[in-house]
Amino acid sequence: MAEKTFIVRIKRQQRADESVRWEEYELRYRPHMNVIICLRDIAERPFTRGGVESTPVSYDANCLEEVCGACAMLINGTARQACTALVDDLEKPIRLEPLTKFPLIRDLVVDRSKMFEDLKRTHCWIPIDGTYNIGEGPRMAPAVQEKGYPLARCITCGNCLEVCPKVNSNDSFVGAAIVSQVRLFNMHPTGAMHSAERLDALMGPGGIAECDNAQNCVKACPKGIPLTESLAAVNGQVLVHAVKSWLRGE
Amino acid sequence: MSAATAESKTSYILDKLQSLSGVIPIGAYLLDHLWSNSYALVSIEKYNQVSGDLQTVPWRIALEAAVLWIPILFHSLYGFYIWSKGKSNALSHPWMSNWMYLLQRWTGLIAFVFIGWHLYTERFGGHGVTRYAGVAEDMANPLYVAAYIIGVVACSFHLGNGLWNFACKWGIAITPKAQRAAGWFGALVGVSCTLAGIVIVLGFHYAWFPLGGYVQ
Amino acid sequence: MTVPKIIVVGGGLAGLMATIRVAESGVPVDLFSIVPVKRSHSVCAQGGINAAKNLKGEGDSTWKHFDDTIYGGDFLANQPLVKGMCDAAPAIIDLLDRMGVMFNRTPEGLLDFRRFGGTLFHRTAFAGATTGQQLLYALDEQVRRFESEDKVRKFEGWTFLSVVLDDGGVCRGICVMDLKTMEIRTFPCDAAIFCTGGIGAVFGRSTNSVVCTGSAQSALFQQGVYYANGEFIQVHPTAIPGEDKCRLMSESARGEGGRVWVPKQAGDTRRGKDIPESERFYFLEEWYPKYGNLVPRDVATRAIHKIVFELKMGLVGEPAVYLDVTHIPREVLDRKLEGILEIYEKFVGVDPHVEPMKVFPAMHYTMGGLWVDNEHQATNVPGIYAAGECDYQYHGANRLGANSLVSCIYGGMLAGPAAVEYSRGLESGCESVPAAIFERERVRQQDISDALLNQHKGTENPITIWREMGDIMTENVTVIRYNANLEKTLVKLDELSERFTRINLQDRTQWANQTLSFVRELGNMLILARVITLGALARNETRGAHYKPEFPERDDANWLKTTKASYNGGEIILNYEPVDTSLLPLRERKYTAKS
Repeated sequence: MAEKTFIVRIKRQQRADESVRWEEYELRYRPHMNVIICLRDIAERPFTRGGVESTPVSYDANCLEEVCGACAMLINGTARQACTALVDDLEKPIRLEPLTKFPLIRDLVVDRSKMFEDLKRTHCWIPIDGTYNIGEGPRMAPAVQEKGYPLARCITCGNCLEVCPKVNSNDSFVGAAIVSQVRLFNMHPTGAMHSAERLDALMGPGGIAECDNAQNCVKACPKGIPLTESLAAVNGQVLVHAVKSWLRGE
Repeated sequence: MSAATAESKTSYILDKLQSLSGVIPIGAYLLDHLWSNSYALVSIEKYNQVSGDLQTVPWRIALEAAVLWIPILFHSLYGFYIWSKGKSNALSHPWMSNWMYLLQRWTGLIAFVFIGWHLYTERFGGHGVTRYAGVAEDMANPLYVAAYIIGVVACSFHLGNGLWNFACKWGIAITPKAQRAAGWFGALVGVSCTLAGIVIVLGFHYAWFPLGGYVQ
Repeated sequence: MTVPKIIVVGGGLAGLMATIRVAESGVPVDLFSIVPVKRSHSVCAQGGINAAKNLKGEGDSTWKHFDDTIYGGDFLANQPLVKGMCDAAPAIIDLLDRMGVMFNRTPEGLLDFRRFGGTLFHRTAFAGATTGQQLLYALDEQVRRFESEDKVRKFEGWTFLSVVLDDGGVCRGICVMDLKTMEIRTFPCDAAIFCTGGIGAVFGRSTNSVVCTGSAQSALFQQGVYYANGEFIQVHPTAIPGEDKCRLMSESARGEGGRVWVPKQAGDTRRGKDIPESERFYFLEEWYPKYGNLVPRDVATRAIHKIVFELKMGLVGEPAVYLDVTHIPREVLDRKLEGILEIYEKFVGVDPHVEPMKVFPAMHYTMGGLWVDNEHQATNVPGIYAAGECDYQYHGANRLGANSLVSCIYGGMLAGPAAVEYSRGLESGCESVPAAIFERERVRQQDISDALLNQHKGTENPITIWREMGDIMTENVTVIRYNANLEKTLVKLDELSERFTRINLQDRTQWANQTLSFVRELGNMLILARVITLGALARNETRGAHYKPEFPERDDANWLKTTKASYNGGEIILNYEPVDTSLLPLRERKYTAKS
């Protein structure tokens, strides 16, 4: 009996300044395969469909259960995590490409440090006095926790930036993930004391006003985070903050 | 960076003004414009009377510039700048809201061209005097009718979808449910304007006064 | 000397906590991580973090937490340090709460607690079913804040190769490789804190993340740091088997009332949800009535093994048992377990709200690790500290669920200040060390990489060697250990090490070459696998997770001692040292008694 196989097409690029080539691999089908297993199969036998020896494909991956955010890529044109992309559910041949909105490092690996920089720029943290034992944290209504926890599950994968028409080389928009984090920290009793810093940051270039409501982010989010809700909520917060500071002559 | 500097806030203020100007005064004026033109569906006399009133407001040029020309120019030109910074991807991510994003830009361009032409022919071409007969003469031309319908559809879509955008971008509609409601409201406004506009255009074309029945 | 210079390697919970503590004391830190720290393996911890806050009126206390931990670890843990951790745990929870962790709340707005394995108390604070993720993010945010104040420099995307030791054997810096440019560089420091996590990759498929290779621990071991209790490997009873990894199905599923069962009739081909209550065998509840489904992990794992392999009562078609949460109200599941149930649905394609989940044990955690002293997280090599899963303290022969997060944070809290104090006490800092010392180490590491890159005649594939190592380690060195099989494993490891010398890199480029870094890790993994297997072979008793049917009893007379492996010219030597049992008298570990 002939083995069941399928084809994976991969966009390869050794470096950002080198030429692009597409490679096709024929892989042996097994039940419950995901895209990560495909890439490991290729690493174990890096010969293209035409029998040409290539190199293992470079890709990011870590937790393999969609909580670390590492393995985001374009799979059949859709920005998603490779670990949850099951071969059974994908149209063949499977097409793998790197995310396009971040600087390419190699093959499927991109540099998403922009997002971490933006989290820094927008003060996405709770400024505590120190790690000393100075008692309990503020009380929080369960309803606030139930709103905040889904936002706190953002894995900084970058899929929402990838699909956003306003995130590109012309525009410095921070993207929905960052705005949603600002909302999270502004929601926390201690974080709220410092919301002005975050809102000020989002008023600057690349800030919230860049969002033009294409609402792609929320559809691309693997964690189902209500990103458009966050964008609207923070839009309102920034506006109120802007008007208040203007009236106070700040 | 601890706080946005005064200079860096400029883009925020301009973005917000761009968004606001689409609703007030431009959106509001569109509604008013459709309203006053609807008198063409009542009777020729009524239309001429209303347009005569509008054409004789004091400080007319200053008023038009402040309420119409400058806002429209700003809204459009800054809108084109915003457009230029985005890269639409509706083909690769064909979600409905993504198509709306793309359509909002193209209808904006169409509306801009249409309004420019409309102003040229109806406002400056007639030296600021519009009478029913003149409009009807233009509207006898089927190409005019087609151009007006395209223009009216583009303006109406742009306003309806723009109202939805406005509700989201000003933090008025926050939850998905509220945003859906805002979307329906925008759709209602867009469809109403489209229908009203088309009826007015056809009214001129066919010298048709469907709302004139109760005049006598 | 001037201001000390501290390096932290590893950006999981322990590494971030150590970083925060050092930065807080005004000492600059360089933090190295193989992945962006926010993607560290700590995100995978699901169920929660233990602290005896006693908010449920159950009379819980830190002493009872201590007792549960020592008892759960079968008395192999050094007791004073464990007591210190349990005493500190409530304040750690408060700290995390202040940092903004979205812990689940009671109606009064206080922290909610759930029950976990190996205890009878509601002692586990949790943030949905992704507690580790939430904790890691909170610490990540604090570090980012220090970074914005220029107190921390982050080096993400660098892999650790070795420490720079001066002629006196003192750590003076680290040698690392940039995973993008493949450049090898040394960075001087007065003390280095290693928080390099788990070793799951030694067992091929585990619940661990890809980066949990144990490579750093192995490299340190080869440079003279002792490796302790390597043979104690925790196998988690409930994971979703997979070809790329085994995905954890948290103990919290059982903590919230989930039940483990198999059909009473072996070979029953009906779907789980169609089998009536009376025809289900709830073997954990039957065999361990006091703790029921919440027996410690080693006990649950062996029970599942017994059901599947000895009694042949496993599910039809695959080695698995049911983990059933279908009787729990959907509203409770969504609020408390959403994250993990979502994982099951995404990877298996079956809705666990409706159908019982199919689970099987998988390698999960190493209790063993780098040897550190009983006070400061200091290894035997001056200037090298270790904290988190990569150290050997706190868990003895078996770790209790939800104790890993607290031990990581506590270890990091100790290691940071200890490294600062040590550095301040140095007569001369790393700046006085001759450049040649650093260059010597850099060249040594460059030569290793060059040799791999220049080997054009290799025939062995790294992934193949890795898989074979993982398979034999999983088969023989996890749940059940027979000496004959352990010896066979050593022979196989010898064979793999020999084949490793003929490895074919396939990728010889000098840019983002993941094969090169993986092969270097693989070489280290092969040595760590030997340490684990040798330790298991030597220890002729059953204790905690280490189960030998040929020696089914705990043997305190001969084996109440810590295994301490050292490396000497390619030779692995096992030594032993006594366990500090000064606080709690030994007693038999039994979870069967009726409540």
